[in-house]
Amino acid sequence: MENPSILKRFIARPEFGPFVLLVLMIVVFQSINPSFLSPQNISNTLAFTVELGLIALAMTLLMTSGEFDLSVGSVFGFSAVLMWTLFNAGVTSLEVGFLAALVVAALIGFINGIFVTQLKIPSFLVTLGMLLVVRGTALFITDGFPQRTWNATGSWLAEALVGDFYVGPFRLYMSLVWFVIAVVVLGYILNQSRVGNWIQASGGNPNAAAARGVKVSRVKIGLFMLSSVMAALAGIISSIRTSSANPNSGTGYELEVIAMVVIGGTALMGGRGTIIGTVIGIFILRLMRNGIIMIGVPGLAYNIFIGAIILGMMALHSWLERRHKAGT
Amino acid sequence: MTMPNTGNQPLVRMVDIHKSYGQVKALVGANFHVNEREIVGLLGDNGAGKSTLIKVLSGAVPLTSGDIFMRGKKVDLRSTSDAIANGIETIYQDSALVTQLSIARNLFLGREPLKGPGILNRMDQDAMNNVARELLKRVGISKDIPPTTPIGSLSGGERQAVAIARAMHFDSDLIILDEPTNNLGVAETQGVLKFVRGARDSGHSCIFIAHNIHHVFQVVDRIVVMRRGKVVADDIDPKKSTVEEVERVITGMSEADIKAAVS
Repeated sequence: MENPSILKRFIARPEFGPFVLLVLMIVVFQSINPSFLSPQNISNTLAFTVELGLIALAMTLLMTSGEFDLSVGSVFGFSAVLMWTLFNAGVTSLEVGFLAALVVAALIGFINGIFVTQLKIPSFLVTLGMLLVVRGTALFITDGFPQRTWNATGSWLAEALVGDFYVGPFRLYMSLVWFVIAVVVLGYILNQSRVGNWIQASGGNPNAAAARGVKVSRVKIGLFMLSSVMAALAGIISSIRTSSANPNSGTGYELEVIAMVVIGGTALMGGRGTIIGTVIGIFILRLMRNGIIMIGVPGLAYNIFIGAIILGMMALHSWLERRHKAGT
Repeated sequence: MTMPNTGNQPLVRMVDIHKSYGQVKALVGANFHVNEREIVGLLGDNGAGKSTLIKVLSGAVPLTSGDIFMRGKKVDLRSTSDAIANGIETIYQDSALVTQLSIARNLFLGREPLKGPGILNRMDQDAMNNVARELLKRVGISKDIPPTTPIGSLSGGERQAVAIARAMHFDSDLIILDEPTNNLGVAETQGVLKFVRGARDSGHSCIFIAHNIHHVFQVVDRIVVMRRGKVVADDIDPKKSTVEEVERVITGMSEADIKAAVS
């Protein structure tokens, strides 16, 4: 327990394994197909990566507190549908529709939180139910059809959320800026603020946390709301970028997001979480999806690789955990 | 029961405490007190009511009837945080700490010192680590353990020490130790007994519950025995009694009864 060298401490971190995998993937993909790291491919990959990434960042905090949220994929689809339905029907301006969608998302998160903390129902069941309610609502109000496409260019809100700009040869979207801000803010909250300490304690040992005066329920409800709002934000950003609001969009995202979080080293059962790990996990999954297509593996084989990565990373994290507990 | 604080007022007094779980009467009029700067050993057979008494005192379960006074003032303990706010800290093995968090983060959980401006404020981790380092020394952990070590990699005895250190730092008047020596090795047990004495010597009172009567004899100033939901003896001096005598009080058998039961 003296002072291990910086290298040793770096290797012992939970983010180290995923980091090595990410570097390895980039090296392999680049050596097989040199256009993997072309500005165009990087720009394209980044655009969607950060949209899912926003959800994964919020999910990291929620999972650290010992809960998770299966309804994020449906909120992703529903919020965009809601905003554009309100706007297309001429009920509200785009800005008010945007706010309304975020408020509804916050309410969805609040209800999730109340069910989990006050009625003591596991988050798996609560958010599975919410997934169906929200997805069903999106399908019902749209009759299952995508919302009318529109021209959002010129709206300051659309520009602020997904306006594109060039940095050298890279075409970047404003969503990348929001993602970076979210990484910094949520990383700060988790690691530096007292709320971060409460989040980790709520997931690690809720009874001990409550005994020290930590408002465990309030922490969890807040994080459910954060998770829903970020899913709504991501859904709206995605709908503006792709000019479509499909009531089915976001299907299956909840599992991809949870996979990103656990691959990065956040514990599924709570108590330990890492924002940097999640950022690495986000890129591992998205670059894998992009890379295997670039090197000519059929896209249908994607899930085989993703599944293998999840299994491999879980084995690594559990091995590190056991070694850690053994005190080495 | 409202008496002026005369100086020899007990720190805690529990009067005529009843507690029923449905039909089961766990406590039937128990009277119990702890003086200032005193280690009280609470003994009793399984089902005698000592856990229930402690749970009532630590706010974990509500009492059915009875009164609790702290330094003569009536208190209402509805939750563990109520109890902590009144200066009563209970240390259950393992359950009081978050294993994933560091020693320092556990010590200050819920009372993290802050630095920095307004909304950007953050935990003052340097201050937390410095205080943690001091406290670990004070409770007598001689090994050099960095305060950033997660609780999960500490031994059982070291965890008890961290919990005791936390109670001492936040000026708990009364530290309740529920089976602190369970599952501990000989050296670790001696360590915990040392921490308990250290806590008393710096002005705290303790209630010490252990199955192992020998551990109790080594550390306490006074022994209280419970039987069938009541306190049946509350002034046994461990220096003037033997383990066998106390065992007889616990079981309620006379010497002859025990001889008859054994043979």
